[in-house]
Amino acid sequence: MSASENISEPKKSGVSRRSLLTSMGLGAGVIATTGLLSACTTVASTGSGATGGGVAAGSIGGSSYDAEIKKLVAGRELQIGWTPPILSEFFKQMESAAFGRMAELEAAYGVKWKWERSSPTGNFDAVEQQISTVRGWTTRKFDAVLVCTGANFATMQDVYQEASASGTAVFQFNQPVEIYAPEQISTVSNIGYDNRWQSGYLAGKFIADTLGGKGTVIQIMGPSGSDWTKARLIGFAKAMEENPGMKVLGTADGGYVREKGLNAAQDLLTRFRDVNAIYGENEDMALGALQAVDAAGLKSWDGKEGIVIVGADGLISGMDSIAAGKLTATIDVGSVDQGRTFIDTIFQNVVLGESVGKFINVPTRVVTKKNVAAAQAYINNALQPSKTY
Amino acid sequence: MKPTSAPSPRFTRLMANPSSGAIFLLVILIVVMSVAFPNFFTAINASNVSNQMVFVLLLAIGMTVVLITGGIDLSVGSVMGLSAGVGAYLITGGAPLILGLVATMAAGAFLGLVNGLMITRLGLPDFIATLAMLGVARGALFLWTGGIPIIGYMLPEYYVISGLAQPFGFITVPILIAIVAVVIVAVVLKYTSYGRHAYGLGSNPHAAVLSGVPVARVKVIAYMISGLMAGVAGMIMAGRNTTVAPTMGLGYEVAAIAAAIIGGAALGGGRGTAFGAVIGALVLSLTANAINIAGVSSSWQQIVTGGVLLLAVLFDRMSSLIRARSVRLTMRLAHA
Repeated sequence: MSASENISEPKKSGVSRRSLLTSMGLGAGVIATTGLLSACTTVASTGSGATGGGVAAGSIGGSSYDAEIKKLVAGRELQIGWTPPILSEFFKQMESAAFGRMAELEAAYGVKWKWERSSPTGNFDAVEQQISTVRGWTTRKFDAVLVCTGANFATMQDVYQEASASGTAVFQFNQPVEIYAPEQISTVSNIGYDNRWQSGYLAGKFIADTLGGKGTVIQIMGPSGSDWTKARLIGFAKAMEENPGMKVLGTADGGYVREKGLNAAQDLLTRFRDVNAIYGENEDMALGALQAVDAAGLKSWDGKEGIVIVGADGLISGMDSIAAGKLTATIDVGSVDQGRTFIDTIFQNVVLGESVGKFINVPTRVVTKKNVAAAQAYINNALQPSKTY
Repeated sequence: MKPTSAPSPRFTRLMANPSSGAIFLLVILIVVMSVAFPNFFTAINASNVSNQMVFVLLLAIGMTVVLITGGIDLSVGSVMGLSAGVGAYLITGGAPLILGLVATMAAGAFLGLVNGLMITRLGLPDFIATLAMLGVARGALFLWTGGIPIIGYMLPEYYVISGLAQPFGFITVPILIAIVAVVIVAVVLKYTSYGRHAYGLGSNPHAAVLSGVPVARVKVIAYMISGLMAGVAGMIMAGRNTTVAPTMGLGYEVAAIAAAIIGGAALGGGRGTAFGAVIGALVLSLTANAINIAGVSSSWQQIVTGGVLLLAVLFDRMSSLIRARSVRLTMRLAHA
């Protein structure tokens, strides 16, 4: 059961795992800051606010500690470039969360942020634009760049090495780094989650558990060859393997978009009449599959019967569907925590000069009707940052 | 009832039809799939494919008109997305459904008008003008939505209009809309002076100018038809997707051009029919459907689509060779 050991139980332990996460991201020598930052994250997620008395929001370091850090920061201005593979609801949630964290750090320690966003306007395969964007930022001597891309792995490592050599720190977010050898990855740090065990496996296990370990599944996957698809399938397949009663009937390409997901689900539902569950590798495709189920006059899961439909991302629109009892579940891969954590990581590494872990995984969770309200509230709160950049 | 003489005129006529290559491929595909997969040749799958093909079909009809006049419209995918955004935005803001739908179609036609004016008034090449529109319309949608899909416009009637709800059984509203569009464009091309002008302009622009064809007007109207079709496709897709993502319609221009060409339209102008667009769209949609039903890797879809395009055009080449030979033969016989 090596796989499940890697999985954290989503429901129990928001606080302890967040602290764990942050300490994973930090060397043992920086315990004070670790405590501070993990507390900030925890406070924000539980929404209980500041501890009062002139201390900045979320701080447990005390006012003199804050003042010392402020002195070290010395009003430094950081120029940051952020390039997601596509502008979407998911990355908008992440960017808003990052803004929220930037505002908090600015208020507490006087660090100033300059933020530039660039995303290809083509589909997520339109990677040349991202490569030239990162090169442009390198030339302009940005302090740090944050990259998530569908570009070829080796190409990007060259781009990253050029950037590092000219003094720009490179961070990746939401990137399926787990399928590559760690020593080949030329970034300071990678903030994300393990697509295998924190997404694909969770979806497979949820479907198997919901169906009592016995049933048939069809898969609507992203473009073949995509790293996300590869990684999530490893986890999903592992969950299927652990449940011999589960059978994957067929797979189709939904291209990560709703229309193609709908078509793919329609075609698979035509080919296979007895389908118990649909795994949409992202939420848009799962929502498309839901429409295919509706249009075919079939029922989605009502707690006892119907087709179990599971997506992955954790979008407000997907959660609305879960709350309305239509989409069965989604894997929330932590858009908010990724946004907050990569800002923390840059602050720790670039501003304070601390060492950070090369792989920082945020918590992910299975969101069902039972816990959807909390997940929604968390994202909605992040969508209203006190300041935008 | 005399039996027709040897190299039957029916055969020559069949070969002379530029869509016959595609029809031939279509028949083979349907026969093979029906034998191999019992679920393929069913009413439900026919309904699925019909609903899936509506978008490419509408775009291909407009594209065919533009191709006939000797132009090309690269902007249809972006126009489709931006038009859908306009309608969805209005309805979300409280406008009545009908206003939103009309605005969607009007936005498409307007962007087509802009394309046409850029080409006729500014003298830009068709390829460049519509390529610019492809970028501008897509960028505008991204900027305007900030990357966030538009939601919250799905009134109950919209489910019917988009075909998600099917009160009339297998025949959905999108299918009816597509049929109406095909019939109207077919009639316009075949029986009106606009149709004659369009074919004339495409086959020989110089002769068309000399014979008094209002070239600019014919072109502008062709692009407006293409834009309108993109608007209608956007209106239906907004309903089918229940969200307008800023990526809506991305890449559809390629499918539209491929469908029009497979259906017998020529990039050089002067050729193409609405019926051909139906065949072309059907070939593309059935291929995608067959690949999903057969459980073949989706990478094959692109290879098969490319292959089909090539075969259809090759077949067309062959038939024009046969046509040319029979014309030469007739002329030689006449001279003898």
